[in-house]
Amino acid sequence: MMSIMNRRDFLKVGSKIGGGLMVSIYLPAYGKSITSDQTVADIEFNKFISIDTNGEITIMLTKHEMGQGTGTAIPTIIADELEADWSKIKIKQATYDPKYTWLEMGTTGGSGSIARTWDAVRTAGAATKALLKQAAANAWGVDPIVLEVKKSYVTNRVTNQTFRFGELAEEAAKLTIPKDIDLKKPGEYVYVGKSVKNRITKDVVSGNMKYGIDMDISGMVYASIERCPIYKGRIKNYDDSEVKKVKGVLDVFPIAIPQKIKDRLHPIMGYVYDGIAIVASSTWVAFKARKLLRVEWDGGENANRDIASLNDDMGALKDSPSLMSMDLGDVGPCFQNPENTILEMEYNTPYQTHAVMEPLNATAHFQDDICEIWVGIQDPEKTIDNVSKALEIPKEKINIHVLKSGGSFGRRYAADTSIEAAFISKKIRKPVKLTWTREDEIKNDHCQPYLKNYMTAAITPKKSVEAIENQAICTIDYAVWSTKWDHYYAFPNIRCHRSTVPALLQYGAWRSVGEHSAALSKECFVDELAHNLGKDPLDYRLELLSHEVDWGDPKEMSQVAIERMLPRKKLLRQRQIEVLSYIKANGLWSKEEFYGRGKGLAMMCFGDTVCAEIAEVTMEGEFGYRVDKITAVVHCGMVINPHFGKGQIEGSIIWALSAVKYGGVEIENGAIQRSNFHDNKVLRIDELPKIEVIFMESDERPSGLGEPGTPPLAPAVLNAIFNACGKRIRKIPVTKEDLVESTSKI
Amino acid sequence: MAHYSLKINNKIYPVNTEPDTPLLWVLRDDLKLYGTKYGCGIAQCGACTVHVEGMPMRSCSIPIDSIGDKTITTIEGLSKQSDHPVQIAWEEADVPQCGYCQSGQIMSAAALLERIPNPTDKQIERAMKGNICRCGTYSRIQNAIKSAAKKIYDEHNE
Repeated sequence: MMSIMNRRDFLKVGSKIGGGLMVSIYLPAYGKSITSDQTVADIEFNKFISIDTNGEITIMLTKHEMGQGTGTAIPTIIADELEADWSKIKIKQATYDPKYTWLEMGTTGGSGSIARTWDAVRTAGAATKALLKQAAANAWGVDPIVLEVKKSYVTNRVTNQTFRFGELAEEAAKLTIPKDIDLKKPGEYVYVGKSVKNRITKDVVSGNMKYGIDMDISGMVYASIERCPIYKGRIKNYDDSEVKKVKGVLDVFPIAIPQKIKDRLHPIMGYVYDGIAIVASSTWVAFKARKLLRVEWDGGENANRDIASLNDDMGALKDSPSLMSMDLGDVGPCFQNPENTILEMEYNTPYQTHAVMEPLNATAHFQDDICEIWVGIQDPEKTIDNVSKALEIPKEKINIHVLKSGGSFGRRYAADTSIEAAFISKKIRKPVKLTWTREDEIKNDHCQPYLKNYMTAAITPKKSVEAIENQAICTIDYAVWSTKWDHYYAFPNIRCHRSTVPALLQYGAWRSVGEHSAALSKECFVDELAHNLGKDPLDYRLELLSHEVDWGDPKEMSQVAIERMLPRKKLLRQRQIEVLSYIKANGLWSKEEFYGRGKGLAMMCFGDTVCAEIAEVTMEGEFGYRVDKITAVVHCGMVINPHFGKGQIEGSIIWALSAVKYGGVEIENGAIQRSNFHDNKVLRIDELPKIEVIFMESDERPSGLGEPGTPPLAPAVLNAIFNACGKRIRKIPVTKEDLVESTSKI
Repeated sequence: MAHYSLKINNKIYPVNTEPDTPLLWVLRDDLKLYGTKYGCGIAQCGACTVHVEGMPMRSCSIPIDSIGDKTITTIEGLSKQSDHPVQIAWEEADVPQCGYCQSGQIMSAAALLERIPNPTDKQIERAMKGNICRCGTYSRIQNAIKSAAKKIYDEHNE
């Protein structure tokens, strides 16, 4: 039973003339819809659902569809609780509106869209169904108990009379919402749990699907920006005389936001590279003319840095005092005990680029004092906030229209393209579409941050790990949050700390953020420990999970920690045990016995989802190794749409394997040296391992699938390489050179 | 500026543009045929694949001046009602995630089946390796191509 939303959120009645043009007339609660012979009344039941008198149901989509499938999956949840006919449902993207809560709209990311909207959308669906049912009961003068609601009809089971939803909508909207709403229980779902087809597929295969980059408004001009290739660099001087000679070039001007304004912007969401904008009559003219621009940059603090100097900066902090993020038990004496063996390893996860398929873009139209922006974006609220601060225009004068995007993977959190397009439009007072080139997208990416992690263990003469310590050195305390270093593996004494060095590249979210970096060091190190102790890596993990980590005395914990953190820790430990037990019971884990082939296991939590992966490799071929197969076992509670869910895990694995094979970036004088798909390679169709995805059966609330498949992939492959040839690799990408000194199998 | 009459999807489109403009940008900016996508600009990703005289080509790297009277087919003109066997197979297999690369994938796949009606896995890989999908829908693409091949075979043998 769920209590439901405020009555005032309910019931907005508009009229839809001729079934097309909609005129919204908001009436006070209990108001009457306006109808005439040619008018179809459109009744807005709540923030998510409206039903017109013809029976057409419109579901408002509050999250951004970027390939993860929630643009279809969330509406199926609503349709299910509403008992609506899915085939007749229309889905409409909601424009940013503060009436939606953070959970309902907020960020599209963190694999959280379904988990965060789960309560709100089910309640909206169920409450609307209850009203329709009551309206039918009133009309027939019967108890609602005799009514059945199915496929957008209410049927009287005694008389077999029926009402369509459309016939009931007006009367239903006048009723008071029942105090308690019955939500469906597992087993009662019609669409949830089924592979309902993606609503975008039809438009995609016909070529009619419109992404941000396809935005087109009358009178629109086109822009491209030459940006500083160095993070925090500035414009020194530039010469645009040749650019201006190109036919079709309309304007050239710098985009350089003053430092005092830059300081007010969010360091990730609001960072904009300094650059020179070229406005032209077409995208191609802007791209072409841009090549004639001569710019001298002031590289600033990063002008002389590269990966080698970054590594030196990080290494220098290894033994320095740093911020303690976790300290359980007493690590000190374990490491000082001369009888103990100390095992210490260094792991490196490099900067990673996104290479989202649809190059970044935004369209803006600044007229009078209103700024309209059309963009595929993961966080419209923060985008408005940062555009407002960057351009010094009030938030309420900015409208963000969220368009579908061709993959986000964290990159479209940032407001940079919106700020740039709005900046240009404000200056030229025309609608403008800004398109980033692929080269821009790679050279001015907001990369997954670099992480160097030192893991140390104290091993007793009786071969048990007495203490574990890790020292994380990050370029920024983002995407490597301290909590990610919590170990569910219950070593008796644990200490985690971290230090930061200044970032060399702009940083941002990258599919699975900190969990990706954390998993590599943690899961490779546990594998090394198992090997050192002579234990099977799966059995050793189960042994470590078999008792709870001492998270501290609840008496000293905050209420939030007791209510939220402790149950979550318990759930995740439970899920990890279930996943590993499943793998064991079903014979999915048995190590290869012959040289040249190997299996590796790794597991990671992301949100409340647990994903374990088994990699199978053969040591041969162009790269010195080949990944033959990945088996993923996933516990995410209920799976809303198995086809989408499997696609997300497969996609995450392919994403992570691209990073293992080709990832990282080369940097010279502060600038990324990669530029396009020829030197920033990603996996292609002829490089696929076999992928098997297994979901643990569960009735628990859904916990997200967009990212959990990524973190375990790299450590599983690295552990498999060790199993195959005895060589430990503690970084990605894995190169042939890394494998050269390969020793015989230990 | 030069004038061109382009034969696209069985229609003639007059265009005034610079001779070095890639076909991709004529399709998108001049003709508003947005189904053909920009991905890399250097023929590395396949998102802009169209058929030129039936052959799959990367429209980002073909200057408009080199087209002459060659016939061009874009995703919008592949079939009358999005019912090319490849499109039907794509829908049935529910291939797309974000969908951005898919018009290029479909155009490459349709050209492959025109040339090799019943391709082996290796032939599919060879023909499709120029088309990147960042969402990783590759196995669904492979399955959809095989299912489209079967549809075409069944049509011919009815």
